[in-house]
Amino acid sequence: MSKTKYPATNPVTTEIVRNGVIAVTEEMKTNLMRTAYNTIIYEALDFTTGLFTASGETISIGIGLPMFIRGMSETVKAKLNHFGAENIHPGDILVTNDAYTTGSHLNHVTFSIPVFEDGELIAFACCMAHWIDIGGTLGGMTTDIFSEGLQIPICKYADKGEVNTLLEDIIRMNVRIPSRAMGDLRAQLTAIKTGERRFLELVHRYGKDAVLQSISAIMDNAEAAARKRTLTIPDGVYEAESFMDDDGVSVGKPVPIRVRVEVKGDELTVDLTNVSEQVRGFYNSGKTAGYACAQVAFKCLTSPTDYPINDGAFRNLNVILPPGKVISAVRPAAMRWWMTFPMTVIDTVFKAMTPAIPDRVIAGHHADLVVCMLHGINPKTKEFFMANFGPQGGGWGAKRSEDGISGTVCINDGDTHNSPNEQTEAKAPVIVERYALIPDSGGAGEYRGGLGVERIVRARYNSVFNTQVDRVHCTPWGLEGGGAAMGNGVALELEGEWKDDFANAKVLTAELKAGEAFSLRAGGGGGFGNPYARPPEKVQNDVRQGYVSLDNARDLYGVALDAETLEIDNTETGKLRGG
Amino acid sequence: MTQALSVRLAADIGGTFTDIAAFDEETGRLSFGKKLSTPDALVDGIEMGVGEAGIKFADANLFLHGTTVAINTILERTGANTALVITEGFRDVYEIGRVNRPDAYNLFFKKHVPLVERALRFEINERMYAEGEVYRPLIDAEVEALAEKLGAMGIEATAILFLHSYRNPDHEIRAKAIFERVNPGMFVTVSHELSQEYREFERVSTVAANAYIGPKVRSYLNGIEERISAEGFGGSFLVVQSTGGLYEVAQAKNDCVHMLESGPAAGVIGTKALCDVLEIEDAISFDMGGTTAKSGVISGGVPLTTGSALIGGYDQALPIQVAMMDIAEVGTGGGSIAHLSDGGSLRVGPESAGARPGPVCYGLGGTEPTVTDANLVLGRLAADRFLGGDMQLDASAAEAAIKKRIADPLGMDVIAAADGILKIAATAMSYAVKAVSTERGLDAASFAMVAIGGAGPLHASDVAREIGMGRIIIPQAPGHFSAFGMLFSDLRYDYVRTWPIRLADADFGDIEPIYAEMEDAGRAAIERTSINAGETVIQRAADMRYVGQEHAVTVDLSLAYFSNQDRDGIKAEFDRVHEIRYGTSAPAEQAEIVSLRSAVTGTMQKPPLEPIEAGAEAPVDAAKAGSRRIYFGEETGFVDTPAYNRSHFLAGNRIEGPAVIDEHASTTLIEPGDFAIVDAYGNLVISVHGINAEMAAERRDSAS
Repeated sequence: MSKTKYPATNPVTTEIVRNGVIAVTEEMKTNLMRTAYNTIIYEALDFTTGLFTASGETISIGIGLPMFIRGMSETVKAKLNHFGAENIHPGDILVTNDAYTTGSHLNHVTFSIPVFEDGELIAFACCMAHWIDIGGTLGGMTTDIFSEGLQIPICKYADKGEVNTLLEDIIRMNVRIPSRAMGDLRAQLTAIKTGERRFLELVHRYGKDAVLQSISAIMDNAEAAARKRTLTIPDGVYEAESFMDDDGVSVGKPVPIRVRVEVKGDELTVDLTNVSEQVRGFYNSGKTAGYACAQVAFKCLTSPTDYPINDGAFRNLNVILPPGKVISAVRPAAMRWWMTFPMTVIDTVFKAMTPAIPDRVIAGHHADLVVCMLHGINPKTKEFFMANFGPQGGGWGAKRSEDGISGTVCINDGDTHNSPNEQTEAKAPVIVERYALIPDSGGAGEYRGGLGVERIVRARYNSVFNTQVDRVHCTPWGLEGGGAAMGNGVALELEGEWKDDFANAKVLTAELKAGEAFSLRAGGGGGFGNPYARPPEKVQNDVRQGYVSLDNARDLYGVALDAETLEIDNTETGKLRGG
Repeated sequence: MTQALSVRLAADIGGTFTDIAAFDEETGRLSFGKKLSTPDALVDGIEMGVGEAGIKFADANLFLHGTTVAINTILERTGANTALVITEGFRDVYEIGRVNRPDAYNLFFKKHVPLVERALRFEINERMYAEGEVYRPLIDAEVEALAEKLGAMGIEATAILFLHSYRNPDHEIRAKAIFERVNPGMFVTVSHELSQEYREFERVSTVAANAYIGPKVRSYLNGIEERISAEGFGGSFLVVQSTGGLYEVAQAKNDCVHMLESGPAAGVIGTKALCDVLEIEDAISFDMGGTTAKSGVISGGVPLTTGSALIGGYDQALPIQVAMMDIAEVGTGGGSIAHLSDGGSLRVGPESAGARPGPVCYGLGGTEPTVTDANLVLGRLAADRFLGGDMQLDASAAEAAIKKRIADPLGMDVIAAADGILKIAATAMSYAVKAVSTERGLDAASFAMVAIGGAGPLHASDVAREIGMGRIIIPQAPGHFSAFGMLFSDLRYDYVRTWPIRLADADFGDIEPIYAEMEDAGRAAIERTSINAGETVIQRAADMRYVGQEHAVTVDLSLAYFSNQDRDGIKAEFDRVHEIRYGTSAPAEQAEIVSLRSAVTGTMQKPPLEPIEAGAEAPVDAAKAGSRRIYFGEETGFVDTPAYNRSHFLAGNRIEGPAVIDEHASTTLIEPGDFAIVDAYGNLVISVHGINAEMAAERRDSAS
C-alpha cells in the first residue's frame, strides 16, 4: 500500500463532490431497499451499494453490512481482471456470486455496471445483495461449496444491453422461489442504474476532470486522517486470542482465533497468520472477509465517523493473511455461514489493542447475528413458508467511559433492522411469546456491559427449525477487570419440556410440532473496569430497572440493597467492597 | 350583539419568535405581529403579538394555533411521569427498538432512549393473533389491579399497547376504560386511537410519546383557552397538525402527537395557498433557518404527506407513526459552522453556532466561522441592516475568523474561502430539495421554488442553480410564513388501517366498509367542531407492494376506482407509481395491499390574497437604498450591486440582477443575469438565467 502526496486540488469542489458521492450511494441504497423482495435486504440491510474507480478502488459505499467493506472492491477488480477493461462496454452488466471472490456466501449476488463518459470508462456502480435462497441443501450442515447452491462465475448479465436470458433461466431453475430471486435481481439493477445516472449527473454538473480529481483528493484526505490518527497509537506489538465454539462438524472442538497487531509510526499491521486453518463446517470465509476484519477494526479505531468509506483510509493499513485460514479459505471450503467468525476476529483485535488505547476500545460483544429459520407447509394455504427470525440484537461491550449498549445488532451488521414481530406473525404461522432483555446478561464492571435479548417463538403448525449460533462457550469478555457476559444460547420446548443442554447452539434441523417452541438467546456485552468501582447509586438503579438482580448486585458489585425498598445498605456495602 | 365576528387569528410559536397573522374577512385586511417567544409564559407572547397586529380576541371567530410545545417536551425530556402497559413478553420492545446501529463503525454509538424507563413498563397477560382473534383473553381484574397500583404510584399518564390492536382493538378499548374509571385524573392513551398500522416498536413509541407529552400539552392548551376566553374570545380554537390540517382543541388535548411538526407543516400549507392563487401545480418549499434547511413538496396541487417520521437524530430517533407532511431536512443553516476535518478537507455543518454564541459577526463570543459570516464577508448581508438595523454585525471579525480557521490552513484567499463555504452549503441544502423531489421520481427542475425562513431568500438562487430550478418565489414576509400558512389550513382527519390482502383476492365488498368506517369517523369529527366547514373532501390511498416485496408505497386512489370496482385500474396505478418512484415496475407480477388510508378534509373559507398597488416597471425612488459591493464568484468578483427596500415595491416592478433586496427579517439576492418581477400580490418572482435549457439537455442525456 503506497505512500501518496497531498495535492492541493480545490477543496471546495472536493467537498461538493464528497457530498455528491455520499448522496449517490445513499440513493442507491434507498432504491434497493424499497424495491427488494425479501426481508434480508429490506429490514436486515444485507447488501452494499457503491461507486468504484475505473480500477476498482472504493470511492464510496452505502453500507448495509460493515463487513462488506472490502468484498465489493475485490469483486470489481476480479471482473476487470477477468474481462480486461478493453472488453467492458457501455450497456454491459457484470455479475458473479463466486464465494471465493466476494469472500462470503453464494447468496451474495453482485452486479456491476460500468460508467462511461465520452467513451471512457470512469467508474463502476455496484450492488451486492443477499438473496433469500440460492438453492443448495435446505438447512443442515454443508462441508463443501457444491452443496450450497448455484455458483455463478464472473459473466455478463447484459452484453451491450442484450440480457443473457440463458443465465436468467439457469437462475430460475436453481432457486426455490424464482419470483423472489428475479424481484431482487430487478431491485439490484435499479440500484446500479441509479448509481450510474446520478454519478453521471455529478460529472456533467462539475466536469469529469474535477470530479475524478476530487475523488482522488477525497481518498488522499482520508489517508491523511488515518495516518494522523494512527500516530496517536503508541508503537508496539499487541496480541490477543479467543476461540469459536466449533465448526458445527467436530462438535466441541474449539477453533482458535489469534491476532497480532504491530503499530509503527503512522502505519499499522494486522497479522492474522495464527487464526485457525479453514474448517470442514460452513463457517469459512474468503480472504476479502479476512481483510475486511482488519479494515473494520482499523476504521473503528481511527476514522469511525468519516464518510464516504473509501480505500484512501486504508492505505496505511497492512494485513498479513496467508491463504487457507478460516477467514481466507480456498475452494471448495463450505462458506454458507461466512459471517460469524470474522466478528470475533474483530473483537479480538480490540482486545489486543487495550493496553495501547484503553480509552478507544470496547469489551467483547455477543458477536453473532443470532438468527434462525422455520420452514414448513402452511396447512391452510398449502404454501411452502420460510420464516427468517433475526437478527434479534444482543449486548455490546462496555468502554472505559460508557456502559455497553443493550439489544443491538452485532458488528457484522450496521443499520440493520429486526422485523416487527407483528409482521412476522402476519407472514408466518407462529406466535412470538417473548422478545425481551435478559437480566444479568451484561458483564459486570465499573461500566456495565449491555444486555442480551431472548426471543421465544411457538409454532402454530408443524415446522422445521434450524439455527447456527456460535459464541456459547467463549463468552463476551470484560476488559481491565470487567466481568464476562452471558454467552449466546438456544433452547427448545419439545413435548412440554424445555431442553437447553445442547453442546453448542447449532441446531441444524429440529422438527417442531404444532404448539412447540424455541428460545433463542443473544448474549450480553463484557464489562469494563472493576465492578466495585461502580457507584452504588448506579447499581441501585440497575436493580430498580431490572437490568441486574439483587443477588448479582451483592455478589458481583458488592452493593447491598434492601430487598423491598432497594435502599443502599452503606455499612454492608462498605464491608463487601472493603473486604 | 348581532354583528358577525369576522377575524381569523393564527399564532405560530417557534423557538425564537411568536408570529401572529390575522385576517379580517370583512375588510379583507391581513396583518402581522412578531414578538420574541416567552418561554416561561408562551401565552403572553401570543397576546403581545396579537396586540401588535392590532386585533382583539373578542373580534375573532377562529383562533388557529401551531406550537413547538409538544416537540420541545420530547426533545427536552420534560414530560409527565409516564407508565407503559403492554402485552406480556414485550415491555422491552420499546428499548430494543429495531436493533439497528446506523453509526456502524463507531464503538461509541448511541441508541434511542425511551421516554418511559423500564421500571415503569408493565406487562398484561393478553394476546391477539395476527388475524385479530383472541389467543389469550384479557382479564379485567388484572388490568384493574395494575391501574390501582399505578394510581397509587402517582403516575400522571399511561400509554397502552397490545399486539395486533390494529386488527382488533377490543383489549385496548377495555383496558383504557378500566384505567379511566380507576384513575379519573390520569392521561390515558391507547395505541390504536393514534395508529392502526402494524409495527409494534413504532406504535409503542407513538403512544408513549403521546402519554409523555399529554398532560403538559393539555394544560398548555387549557391555559390558552382560559386566557383567550377571558379576553372575550367566543369562537373556535383549532390546532395545526403535522399534516398541516387543523383539528379541534378538544381532540388536540387527547391526540397530542399529531401536532409535533405543526410549524414546518404550516409553511408547506402556506406554499400551497400561494400556489393556488398563482395557479402553480408543482412547487417545492425551501425553508432555511439558523440550524437547518427543510423542504416540502406540492405535486399536482397537493402537498405530499408521509405515514411516519423520526423525532431526533437518526441514530437516536423516536419514531412517530402518524400522518405528517413529508419534509426533508438537512443540518445546514445560517449558523452552520465551517471547519476543517482531520484530513484537511473543508466541511460546513452540521454543528451550528445557534443563537448563542452565534456567528462570529454577532459579536456574542462566537469564534468559529459560519455561513452567516461568509455571507457578510461577501457583502450579501449588510452589517447595518440586519433585523432592520436592530443588530450591528462585525464584518472584520467574520473575515478574520474565516482567514484564520479556513483560508490560511488551506492556502486559499479569504474571499474564495467564504465563497466556497456558501457553495458547499448550497449543495448540501440542495439534497434536502432533491430528497423530496428527485428521489421521489419527480423532476425538481420543473417545480417552482418557494423560499421562506429568515435565510431562505438569500440562498434560494444558489440552491435553485444547483438543481436546475428556473423559478423562485419569495412571498411577502418570508420570515413569518408559518403563521400566514395557518390561515389557509383546512380541518383534516387522517386514518389508516392495516389490512393485508392480495389485490386479486380483495373483495370490494370488504374494502368499502373499512373506508366507510374511517370516513364516517372523519365526517363525525368535522361535525363535532363548531366550524361551518364547506365541502367535505375524501382522499383515499392504499399502501401497496408486489407480492413478496417488503416495502410498500402509498398510492393515491381516486374514488372512481372503488365505485367502478376497477381492480385492474388500481393495479395499473400502482405499477405507474412504482415506476415513477423507483424507475422499475413489474406489471406481470401480482400486487398486494398492506394498509388502507383515508384523509377527510373539511374545507374552510380561505382568505383571498390582496393585490398590492401597481406601479411601473422601474421601482420608485423610495425603494432604492444605495448599493453595496457583493461578490458573485470568480469571474465577476465584487460587483457594485443596487440595494432595495422591499416595502416600497409596487406590482409590476422589475429588478435586474445583480440586486439585493432587504426587508425586516430577510434578504433576497438576485444574481447577475437573473431578474425579479413583483407580482400583483407583492411576491418576488425570480427567473434564474440560462439554467433551464442547459439542465434540461443534461437530464435528457443522462436519462438516455
